[in-house]
Amino acid sequence: MSTRNRIAVVGLAEVHPPQGMSQRMMASEATRLAVEDAGLKISDIDGAIDLRRTGGGGDRASYSDTFTRFLGMQAQFYFTIGRGGALAGLATAAATGFLDRGLANYVVCVGAVDDWSKAEQTKKQGHRGMQHAEKEGYWGKPLGDLRAASHHSWMAARHMAQYGTTSEQLGAISVAQRTWACLNPDAKMYGRPITIEDHQNSPWVVEPYHRLDCSLISDGAIAFILTTEERAKDLKQQPIWVSGQGFGEIAASYWWEKKNLTHMAVAPAKEKAFAQAGITLNDIDVAQLYDCFTGEVLLQLEDYGWAEKGQGGKYVESGATAPGGHGIPVNTGGGLLSNWHLGDLVGYAEAVQQLRGTAGDRQVKDAKVALTTGHGGELVSPSMCSIHTSTILTVD
Amino acid sequence: MTNEGVTVTEPKKWNKPRPNIDADSAEFWEGLKRHELLLWTCEECGAAYWPKCYCRNHENKPFAANLSWKPSSGYGRIFAMNRHEYAFHAGFKEDVPYFYALVELDEGPVISSTIIGEQPTDPIKDIGRRVKIAFEDHPEEGFTLPRFELVAE
Repeated sequence: MSTRNRIAVVGLAEVHPPQGMSQRMMASEATRLAVEDAGLKISDIDGAIDLRRTGGGGDRASYSDTFTRFLGMQAQFYFTIGRGGALAGLATAAATGFLDRGLANYVVCVGAVDDWSKAEQTKKQGHRGMQHAEKEGYWGKPLGDLRAASHHSWMAARHMAQYGTTSEQLGAISVAQRTWACLNPDAKMYGRPITIEDHQNSPWVVEPYHRLDCSLISDGAIAFILTTEERAKDLKQQPIWVSGQGFGEIAASYWWEKKNLTHMAVAPAKEKAFAQAGITLNDIDVAQLYDCFTGEVLLQLEDYGWAEKGQGGKYVESGATAPGGHGIPVNTGGGLLSNWHLGDLVGYAEAVQQLRGTAGDRQVKDAKVALTTGHGGELVSPSMCSIHTSTILTVD
Repeated sequence: MTNEGVTVTEPKKWNKPRPNIDADSAEFWEGLKRHELLLWTCEECGAAYWPKCYCRNHENKPFAANLSWKPSSGYGRIFAMNRHEYAFHAGFKEDVPYFYALVELDEGPVISSTIIGEQPTDPIKDIGRRVKIAFEDHPEEGFTLPRFELVAE
């Protein structure tokens, strides 16, 4: 790594305006604020990456105007990237290439969603949940596989059948993250604590998933600015270093082995990211694990090695991941379950906050190394042919 | 060979999403209309796939021409399951609650649909139960949907 440019996160911003605002407006505003946070000017930004949730259900590739034009930014390149909720990790890797080769000095990566507003619109047509956009070649729609919960819940179901994991154990993940969210005044669910009983009493959406196993539907945008080491040193914020990245694909092996309901493609991603960063699991102070549903958190806790495969339920049940827990603090801003849902940008932003030491009441003491992960992909029976992204951010 | 199985003719107007049929799956959907559950099968080694792909076991002919669609037994076991209590799409309001299962066919591939007829009792405890294919014809709409029903061991 020593011969390459080190890359740093030097600006960060998040906006959650009232419903009804366009995605390009939210992306523009988050960008404007992230540039300000970095102590830069819009005219300094010469590269722009728009984080769009292609893959998965629905056509969300791009919109009919670039936010760069909208914002009056003179970027030399603009493109979209992302696969389902795997956004910030992929954008960081792409931006690293441009920065490392001297093709850009400062790259903004921004993702905006208007799912909440869109869901309100489709509710008027009698539907529920996220907006309905039919994807070419998607198998299950006419049969009843309609939304992420329709097939993601198979992960929990299979884990329960194979290892005896219980709904209450999944509830412990939901409760732990809500407890974190109640320490985060910017979280959607701030001030609304829940108990295991609340989890159990929340209606089934797709059994074995209760309402409180499912992530939020949000509006908003998150932007971050990346630059090279020598530029990062002179800026307003303490640089947060991108010290390691790795990626894994379910299609490489787990899909064929029918293990993709009980595993995520963590192994290759972890191996590369940890090796680059020169760390082991014990070096990680805080983990932001992609949590579209509670089951994904359980699987990753096992796949990374905080719990043995099949024992994740016992681990979370002990309160290990909650504030004051004995284990790894997980999704310390509340995550997609209780903070906001803007894909992996939420965990990425929270990791930066924790490492900057600006996380307020939820600050993990002396956090120096953060893991942040992303997940997303297509549904090909037996389900979820997805990517796993692993990014190690560090203070030093 | 035509698979056995119940034929359910649905008389109502179709108010749900339509099947997404493309060049790779058109022949599979034609098979369903003939009451055949087709699997993409390698003529060299017999490996069965669904959906369509290149054979993983050896070199392939251009455009995977060494594979073709062959009927399956239509039998398998529930690999994972859930119970939908929530109609995400308005067309499913009268169907909830329904069991939606991932079925591992005896030939290996895994495919998903609902369970019709006798219903499972629990989406977790009934994982592993034996099932067979059933065909739900929609002649007015021009397609047949695959469903599964529980069978004795």
